[in-house]
Amino acid sequence: MATAPSTIHVEVLRQSTPDAAARTERFAIPYRPNMNITSLLGEIALNPVDVSGKATTPITYDSNCLEEICGSCAMLINGRARMACSTLVDALLKENPDQPIRLAPLSKFPVVRDLAVDRSVLFENLKAVKAWVPIDGTYDLGPGPRQFPQTQEARYPLSNCISCTICMEVCPQFNTATNFVGAATIAQARLFNMDPAGSVLKEDRLRALAGDGGIQECGFAQNCVEACPKQLPLAEAISATGREVLLQQLKDLFVR
Amino acid sequence: MATSAPPAPSLAPLRGVQPLRPASGHSFFWHKLHSLSGIVPIGAFLIEHILSNAEALNGPLAYAQQVRLLNSLPLVRVLEWTLIFIPLAFHALYGAYIAIRGRATVNVYPWAGNWGYLTQRITGLVAFAYIVYHLWTQRFSGVSLPEHPGAAFAKVQHELANPWVLAVYIVAMIATTFHFSYGIWLFAAKWGIASGTHARKRFGGVCTVFGSALCILGLASLYAFVGNPKYANAPADAFAPPAIAQPAPVTPPQPMTTQ
Repeated sequence: MATAPSTIHVEVLRQSTPDAAARTERFAIPYRPNMNITSLLGEIALNPVDVSGKATTPITYDSNCLEEICGSCAMLINGRARMACSTLVDALLKENPDQPIRLAPLSKFPVVRDLAVDRSVLFENLKAVKAWVPIDGTYDLGPGPRQFPQTQEARYPLSNCISCTICMEVCPQFNTATNFVGAATIAQARLFNMDPAGSVLKEDRLRALAGDGGIQECGFAQNCVEACPKQLPLAEAISATGREVLLQQLKDLFVR
Repeated sequence: MATSAPPAPSLAPLRGVQPLRPASGHSFFWHKLHSLSGIVPIGAFLIEHILSNAEALNGPLAYAQQVRLLNSLPLVRVLEWTLIFIPLAFHALYGAYIAIRGRATVNVYPWAGNWGYLTQRITGLVAFAYIVYHLWTQRFSGVSLPEHPGAAFAKVQHELANPWVLAVYIVAMIATTFHFSYGIWLFAAKWGIASGTHARKRFGGVCTVFGSALCILGLASLYAFVGNPKYANAPADAFAPPAIAQPAPVTPPQPMTTQ
């Protein structure tokens, strides 16, 4: 790309309601250096007119922090699941010169409107594995148990999960045939199992992950760890948790 | 400007992929049994099978002796069904069930692990189709090898004389040994035996070397049947006394065999 283009062509797959048919709208956005997809969608919102001059509506999508920490703005960008905030237009133009930038909602979640999808399944899964530290009670429980720095270091990468669901979107096993739980939930179960106070629910979490749609459905394609925008060690988390789930099942079989 | 209370959480069932169902179903057990059955007994049998076939490199008599040795094992028919046929049928059918429920995505995400995921399913289905064919031609039709181990070399050689069949055997040998060696790696990864990033990578190297060695040994055995001029036109019965040009005792084809 010798010279920067004067306009950026964008194709957005839109639908106005969960049941409406999807349609593609095309936009031509004046080029500025260092744009990301968020600012591209912002330009459309400022002037919601498609490439033929027809007035339309701003594009609906989930966003909050705009700096890859809230996990809201995951979408398909040129067919691949990425964060709108941290995907740079210049990099996309370099990747696919002379091609429009294609935006679509995540394909494995029900569409709410345009690029906004319903990702409640992750919240339900996190509840199913009790991904929390149980400290609520009727009296002050006092300080928690001491956590060694080594444990903190092992847990920290897992705590970076932003619940963007990209690991689930890219997973070949996460679909309506398997109803696989997905890497994010397994990683969070591991995070809280490694917490000295959270480990009180460890057995519950491991048993939950052996239910239908549990960790056994993982096919170890490792797309999750490749695609994760926060570089979580997801393959390692699934492997180690797989061992613990299995040992828990054996323990339940022989001891309980 | 709080004009109304926030909407109550929807109680309508979710669309799309459903949440985890803790403490329901037995898919964990069946998946683990599928995974384990691929290592023992099926993987162990595959090693035995390829090692036994390598006896063909020592000629028709050595091969016949190996087939006779295996068929002299105590309760050999019981062993054959319980350690080979039944586990293999389960592994193949449940594996096909797993394969059809996956949604391959290599067109969008062309990453090594994703290719491995797809290849594992394709090689599994190739091996499944091949094994059905192979069992029919070598075990359940033609000369029964358990009763006539001396005919083993000639029977295989006759089948491999067709270049299309030879091509099928070569493809199936590569597919099966890949499926097994990648399967060992997957077993170690999913059972948490090699869980760390470095451990998985190291073990991947081990599996690559092991699978390649197994594949080369299998292909070398194929060469013994079709390419080695010393063993061309093998006798119909390797145990028949040599030199005298008398036809080997012709036995009517009976069902049943193994090698």
